[in-house]
Amino acid sequence: MNPITTFSYNFQDLSLTRENVGNAMGYENENIPEPFPALIDESLSMAEKLCAIEGGFKYFEQVKFDQNQKIVKIDSIPFYVHKIIFNQLRKSENAVLFLCTAGPGISNYSKRQMADGDMITGYILDVIGSLIVESAMDKIQQELETALSCKGLHISNRFSPGYCGWDVAEQHKLFSLLPEKFCGVQLSESALMYPIKSVSGVIGIGTSIKKHNYACGLCDQDFCIYRNRKKQTTIHHS
Amino acid sequence: MEEILEKIAHCVEFGKINKISPYPPDMKGMDGADELTKLALDSGVPVQDILSKALISGMQKVGVKFRENKVFVPQVLMSAKAMNTAMVHLKPYFASGTVQHKGTFIIGTVMGDLHDIGKNLVAMMIEGNGWEVIDLGVDVKPEKFIEAASQHPGCTIGLSALLTTTMENMNITVKQLKEKVPASKICIGGAPVNQEFCDKIGADFYSADPQGAIEYLSTLVA
Repeated sequence: MNPITTFSYNFQDLSLTRENVGNAMGYENENIPEPFPALIDESLSMAEKLCAIEGGFKYFEQVKFDQNQKIVKIDSIPFYVHKIIFNQLRKSENAVLFLCTAGPGISNYSKRQMADGDMITGYILDVIGSLIVESAMDKIQQELETALSCKGLHISNRFSPGYCGWDVAEQHKLFSLLPEKFCGVQLSESALMYPIKSVSGVIGIGTSIKKHNYACGLCDQDFCIYRNRKKQTTIHHS
Repeated sequence: MEEILEKIAHCVEFGKINKISPYPPDMKGMDGADELTKLALDSGVPVQDILSKALISGMQKVGVKFRENKVFVPQVLMSAKAMNTAMVHLKPYFASGTVQHKGTFIIGTVMGDLHDIGKNLVAMMIEGNGWEVIDLGVDVKPEKFIEAASQHPGCTIGLSALLTTTMENMNITVKQLKEKVPASKICIGGAPVNQEFCDKIGADFYSADPQGAIEYLSTLVA
């Protein structure tokens, strides 16, 4: 496998529906109250024009583990991932570090709408921005899984700094292992990504590693606002 | 009088902004919070009653439904919009001192964190419950909270964070606020925060939802 693989997607590739957006806002499929169905449809049309979806990963052969300190070493860089993520990754033989973004357009427009007093459109676009980046990353993860399966290799869930006890400041180490401005994403001093609607993290790879369909059960954030979303495959949010 | 107050509360609860607003569908063509508030004022309904028995009452119902997952963020935003529309008519009475806010609530997302939707939601709901809200925005440094709190003695402060990294900044902010403005109570909230963390950093109150913050604020003015 090439050490660096990149992808770009069109908005249509993600097949996001009104129901997807409604679900992300808390509503069940058929029960999105008025006036939100029409507002979601308008926002989806707007999102199509605003997003610039890019993503990719870098493959690392060298992964080592320190059981006592719960450290995962990738290319000799130690990541203090905390016990939850360590336990999910510890059977990895290789790993990828990934990055994916919806581009700056959607979050900038969402912020502008909110600043102009249209909180509802701003909020819906913010939700769509998160869905775009997570859906695109789902596709990338699927591509990786398919490419590795023929070699008898499996992948873990994806894990991001800032969640499950992994300090978000370690974004700096993660970015140091990726090409500069990979997929157009930059990191602030306080470890926030720009564009805002971006995700980064690690996926473990190995012959005996497992991916869970409902990953929120692994996390120790009992009151997380995302916790009730069933069958979510990620433990990071944008 | 009670009837019009109930109607305004209903408009706020269900997000009926004004007559031309087509939502909710079962109130299409009917007066909204805008027209009814003006009518109530013109009819001599006391401003304090409009505030407490209509607007606050409506927003409280929304807050409870939100906590119980019966409504979600978009509906709360619609209700807040209806409430804000009504509030425009009451602003002159606040300015003249005819009615008074319950107190001042200073809110912001702590430094290093740019997330603001949850913070905005809490700000709107607290404002809808009769508080003067000063929103300092996102990525707010401790000095800015201290400066605002110093200008509003007796205020309550709300700190928001959505990232685990900014939990540490919340800790720093609480420590500095407790040192410089010890009289101000501090509420914290946000996805990674919990009661254990609140106790650890010495904040006064934690709530998982906006209604909890409103209820806490009510205890401060009881």
